[in-house]
Amino acid sequence: MSSSKENKSISRRNFIALAGGAAGAVALASMGLPMGWAENSPEVDVEALGLDKFSTDVLVIGSGMAGLFAAVKAHDAGAKVMMVSKGRLGSSGQTPFAKGIFAYDHSNEKLSIDEFVAKVSRSAMGSNNEVYTRQMAEHSMARVNELKSWGFFDSAVYHKSFSKPIEERNIPVQERIVVTHLIKEDEKIVGAAGFSTNEQKVIIYEAKSVILCTGAGGFKPNGFPIGDLTHDGTIMAYNIGAKVTGKEWNDGHPGKSENAAASYDGWGNMFEQKPSTVSIEVHHDLGVDLNYMAYTSGNPVKMGGPGSENKTTVSGGPYTPAEFDRKNAQQNQGPQSEEGRPPRGGSKPPGGGKPPKEGGGPPGMDGDRVGGSSAGMAIHKSEGLVPINDQCESNIPGLYAAGDALGSYMSGGIYTQIGSSLAGSAVQGGVAGKAAAKYCKQVGNIKISDPKINEIQEEILAPLKREAGYSPAYVTQTLQGIMIPNFILYIKKESLMKGALAYIEELRDHHMGMLRAANFHELRLAHETANMIVSAEMKLKASLMRKESRCSHYRLDYPEMDNENWQAWINIFKGEDGSMQFEKQPFGQWPNEGVDII
Amino acid sequence: MAIESINGCIGCEECIKSCPTDVIRLDPKTKKAVITFPEDCQICHLCRLYCPVDAITLTPEKTIPVIVSWG
Repeated sequence: MSSSKENKSISRRNFIALAGGAAGAVALASMGLPMGWAENSPEVDVEALGLDKFSTDVLVIGSGMAGLFAAVKAHDAGAKVMMVSKGRLGSSGQTPFAKGIFAYDHSNEKLSIDEFVAKVSRSAMGSNNEVYTRQMAEHSMARVNELKSWGFFDSAVYHKSFSKPIEERNIPVQERIVVTHLIKEDEKIVGAAGFSTNEQKVIIYEAKSVILCTGAGGFKPNGFPIGDLTHDGTIMAYNIGAKVTGKEWNDGHPGKSENAAASYDGWGNMFEQKPSTVSIEVHHDLGVDLNYMAYTSGNPVKMGGPGSENKTTVSGGPYTPAEFDRKNAQQNQGPQSEEGRPPRGGSKPPGGGKPPKEGGGPPGMDGDRVGGSSAGMAIHKSEGLVPINDQCESNIPGLYAAGDALGSYMSGGIYTQIGSSLAGSAVQGGVAGKAAAKYCKQVGNIKISDPKINEIQEEILAPLKREAGYSPAYVTQTLQGIMIPNFILYIKKESLMKGALAYIEELRDHHMGMLRAANFHELRLAHETANMIVSAEMKLKASLMRKESRCSHYRLDYPEMDNENWQAWINIFKGEDGSMQFEKQPFGQWPNEGVDII
Repeated sequence: MAIESINGCIGCEECIKSCPTDVIRLDPKTKKAVITFPEDCQICHLCRLYCPVDAITLTPEKTIPVIVSWG
């Protein structure tokens, strides 16, 4: 590992001379420059590593908002629960940065729930699952009240309030556990496996049911706090046969052009604010409109407050329903309307949040902005496991998902209700927890066979055992170079996506199996990198398949919405030969059944 | 770059636990927090927000290390 100080100490001329020389590798390594391919020198004795085994009814993976309620509600429904987290309770994933939570107040709202659901559906152009939209609204106030009683609204950091209900119930929590595998035997879930970065050992969990609360993911982009989110849950589930969806949608958050890597600074002091509740405010926040503007006119795009100078004018681009068009709203309010209105996709904090001040960005978001800060992530709750019903259940018996790990399409392929992401995670966590506890009652004791454990242990530790290989950092940087440019996933067209896909398939076939790790930090990075490669393949193939533009999916070669062919979601699953398969699921139906959702 | 220094650490490990990207580790000898993997810092400031003695300094700049594929 190198520090920036070491890197800066090498002039460009020296660098070129070194890299080109025969003794380049040795010289570079001695100067602290990390190398892509190199010999592995493990810092741990791999053969001496221990193995732990735990047993539970419901295993909750992830400790953000969804995980909190999944654990609490599964416990309260009578199940023995265990929670594991890659990070820390209340301090991993996007939950720590989400500051607004939607609460539907029956007594005060002017819109009925029916009207609210209808409005979300109009903004989402039919791409939302109305059952989950309604469920979120109906349950939101009850979850918010529970959060209030635990002290959630009293602090800007959430560990303490999240710990309260967990400790009161004596639910065991294991932190800094990287779960890498879900385990399926006899066609149903039997547990999960991973490793502890603290204790440096492999851990096997035997569980009657597993709830994935693993959040979404991205390509470890700069400027958005999702460096720990690499679609782990989705890819683990895909590997054992679960259907996943939503890979073609795009979160379009921009970042600041100055110090683009600084997530905190990009949001002003928002991360230091206490959370608060949000009432009905349905938007059609694209973000992709900013990216389109940057694509046609160049970066960066000036963002300012009300009435600020914005002379950029672009024609064409993503379609916004008139009802939700901010340009119309401004025209109605006064003379400040401009064709190149300030794009608003970036006006929500990660995970959904407080409504922005009318006409401007949130504090700290003014100034020049560039796209791609959340690259690799879809719209909250559009990507993840395909639910087969309103109980957050996947197509694998015993496997549930909640929050951003579930492709519930609560909002559809676009951001609609402000603050609904955090509310939806709380609501779905609760629903999944209750359902998983009920499922466990009809399942006997679980015993994972020794050969299966040995096989998984080998897969987990493989990067530590390699004598040489690619560093995860190198492969991640290569992947970022392929996937993050705005002409790949933001402004999509067939030729470039096919080009990118060829590179990603190369990483999949010739790098993914050659990742090396010298320690448990790098072991985590190796597994995360592999997950990002598979997710990149999914995103490109789903984006190629969807030959239309709708919501946050914008194809330059198919700019129109195609209601004849594309009132459908795309599901992805592993075929019997191991290849990636795709199917359409009509909007408003559950998978494979042809049964209407409502 | 990013997380820059930890001064006045009391060894409570709050920053280590709250870092989403495993940047900080405990020095087994001194029992104090050490910046170990700064290249993975996402500049989210959670470590600083959880630190009870305000020991952590972060800067918004970040230099991405150059990584050479062929060595």
